Amino acid sequence: MGLFDRLASWLGLKKKEVHVLCLGLDNSGKTTIINKLKPANAQTQDIVPTIGFSIEKFKTSSLSFTVFDMSGQGRYRNLWEHYYKEGQAIIFVIDSSDKLRMVVAKEELETLLNHADIMHRRIPILFFANKMDLRDSLSSVKVSQLLCLENIKDKPWHICASDGLKGEGLQEGVDWLQDQIQAMKT
Amino acid sequence: MSSSSESNREGESSKWLDAHYDPVAGLNTFSSCIALADLHGDGEYKMVVGDMGNGPYNMKLKVYKGTSLLSENALLDMPTGVVAFLMDQNEPRTPAVAVASGPFIYVYKNLRPYFKFTLPALEFNALEKEVWDQAKEDKIDPLTLKEMLEGIRDKAEIPLSVRSLRYLMLDPQEMEAFVNTYKQLPLKRQTVITCMATLKKNMSDKDAVCCLVIGTENGEIFILDPEAFTILTRVSLPNVPTLLDVNGQYDIEYRVTVACRNGSVYILRRDSKRPKYSIELNSQVVGLLRVQKNIIIGTSQEILYGYSQKGKRLWTVTLPAPIMTMSLLEQKSRSIQTVLVGLKNLEVHLYRDKNLLSIISTPDIVTSVCFGRYGREDDTLIMTTKGGGLIIKILKRTAQFEGKDSSFGPPTRQSIKLNVPKKTKLYVDQTLRERENAVAMHRVFQMDLYRLRLSAARAYVKALDASLSPVSSTMQEPLTLNAIVQGIGPHFKLILNLQNTSQNRPSMQLLISFLYDERLYQLKPAFFKVPLLVPGLNYPIETFIECCSDKGISDIIKVFVLKEGKSTPLITAHISMPVSEGLVVA
Repeated sequence: MGLFDRLASWLGLKKKEVHVLCLGLDNSGKTTIINKLKPANAQTQDIVPTIGFSIEKFKTSSLSFTVFDMSGQGRYRNLWEHYYKEGQAIIFVIDSSDKLRMVVAKEELETLLNHADIMHRRIPILFFANKMDLRDSLSSVKVSQLLCLENIKDKPWHICASDGLKGEGLQEGVDWLQDQIQAMKT
Repeated sequence: MSSSSESNREGESSKWLDAHYDPVAGLNTFSSCIALADLHGDGEYKMVVGDMGNGPYNMKLKVYKGTSLLSENALLDMPTGVVAFLMDQNEPRTPAVAVASGPFIYVYKNLRPYFKFTLPALEFNALEKEVWDQAKEDKIDPLTLKEMLEGIRDKAEIPLSVRSLRYLMLDPQEMEAFVNTYKQLPLKRQTVITCMATLKKNMSDKDAVCCLVIGTENGEIFILDPEAFTILTRVSLPNVPTLLDVNGQYDIEYRVTVACRNGSVYILRRDSKRPKYSIELNSQVVGLLRVQKNIIIGTSQEILYGYSQKGKRLWTVTLPAPIMTMSLLEQKSRSIQTVLVGLKNLEVHLYRDKNLLSIISTPDIVTSVCFGRYGREDDTLIMTTKGGGLIIKILKRTAQFEGKDSSFGPPTRQSIKLNVPKKTKLYVDQTLRERENAVAMHRVFQMDLYRLRLSAARAYVKALDASLSPVSSTMQEPLTLNAIVQGIGPHFKLILNLQNTSQNRPSMQLLISFLYDERLYQLKPAFFKVPLLVPGLNYPIETFIECCSDKGISDIIKVFVLKEGKSTPLITAHISMPVSEGLVVA
């Protein structure tokens, strides 16, 4: 990093870049959440199921995020592991109204945590218990119980209830993620 | 067997995720009454269940979304089949639900009653009609009516209508009211639907318009047009259909496989007025499926058969318990088709052809099994149990079914050809001789056999006459005798063990004497008086033998057990004396 870069980052003109993976089952709201985090003028109106993956960028007060928004459909889930190496943080989105597939989410999370590229790294994981606006949705505490999140001991994690459509709860999660990444860097 | 099923059981937890289990869901249904469909066109598949309720009450059409009940519609009669099918090309493409019950098919759209199809009425008995007409004009009283109807029932070719049959069951005091209620109504004879399935009309797409195929109690198969509900095809069967499996497309070519109540399976094809092929089984068919080009049949004798589509048997698998239900497991993403068999021993077996792939243990007896897309998950297994429970399992994305040959069926070694040597000239000659002279050879053999038997019998009689056996055969004195010779010579010790084998009769006045060559042996006491023999006890009697010869030869000493006053011995024992080695050594 040259002198100019350091000066720029000190002044807050150029922000540090982090790569984040956004994972979760299909129809859990990954793309909707990422879309909501983007600046208002860059947001799209209609969200369609992601095919393969898409790369999105957004900035927070001190970091510049590059998000790999992975498709959650069953046939694309085997793509996830190819991006584990690059990811410096993980956002895991859960549809808290889909009680039936909570076991599937748990299974995918376990596969993720036991993967060789993830297992021995202390990377922060942010969980969004999404769709909290729905009537029959589970609370974030219940979701963390069902996913057995208390068993994750070697990685910092945080769960927050969110509503991807209105954007509620997203900022809280992203702020936590930003703090964790900065704590890791220093 | 046990080890392979253990490994299957271990593998089970790595294949299935337990998504939901409600032991008190109150679902009493069978595989034919469960359908999975995207009823609202939102990509979320729902489960439609025709619930039998408890006996004849509380029959409902229930719709489940995820783990919860979405809606309920009351049903008037017992459902015999529930299918979801697309009726038309209209957008949005939401499937309708057809419920077969009694002689009707109730069609629901958006979970609201939409249409009711009634089976065409059957021809009724003219005599029966005449009798009811007379009853209508009060010409005959209820008892005469009953007698006449019974007469018609016994000899008529066309069976009686439901009304008459019901009437014959009534008590005399109820008859008049029944006649008054029904006599004004026109007489109808109707049959009921026993099974229902769908058949794609002219496209093989997943969301193609489907015709309904129904089987009826009077042994007919109907294929109905999905839009107008007109009968497109009508085929008569030799018996009552109970299970249906349909594939193909109506406008192109299709096959309807029907299991009937007489234990036969018939295969119908397009444009055939009669069944094209038939499979005769010696027991009731309880499950019928088509996997690719094969027909899989489960019978009430705990056997699973595989047949080709021309009715040729390919394989047989014996199951450990009676079959409760059968269903197809089709994993479209990997194009795998396997058969799920729910058994009475709380297991669901998964078969690919005759190979057992996996065993799923269930907490209760499974009465219905359904596999398909449910909610947003493609590979979901839904089971309902005898106690009304609902089990939902999801097949893991990473699950692999190993198609290895299990212990069922003949081992692979059996099919390895042995290296059998060529037939030699000698072998061929001998076989020819044997073939030509079979009768003579058999006679020679038989004669020799009879001779052998005769000489054996003679020897036996001789032994009996002389009481040569060491066991006495007379009823008065049942005795056994055995002798032991101890020593190496020239002095031997002879121990005779005498035992009375009778239950409670003591033996008295017995004597023992010896017969021997006096030039060879000398016996010290050569004659004994035997004491009273108590039943069951063993009496050892000892004597000393001295061998006089130094030539190294031996002889036989005979021991006789005698009864006082009788010359024939009770028992004779022959003791082969050993060669006196002591003398030789000395």
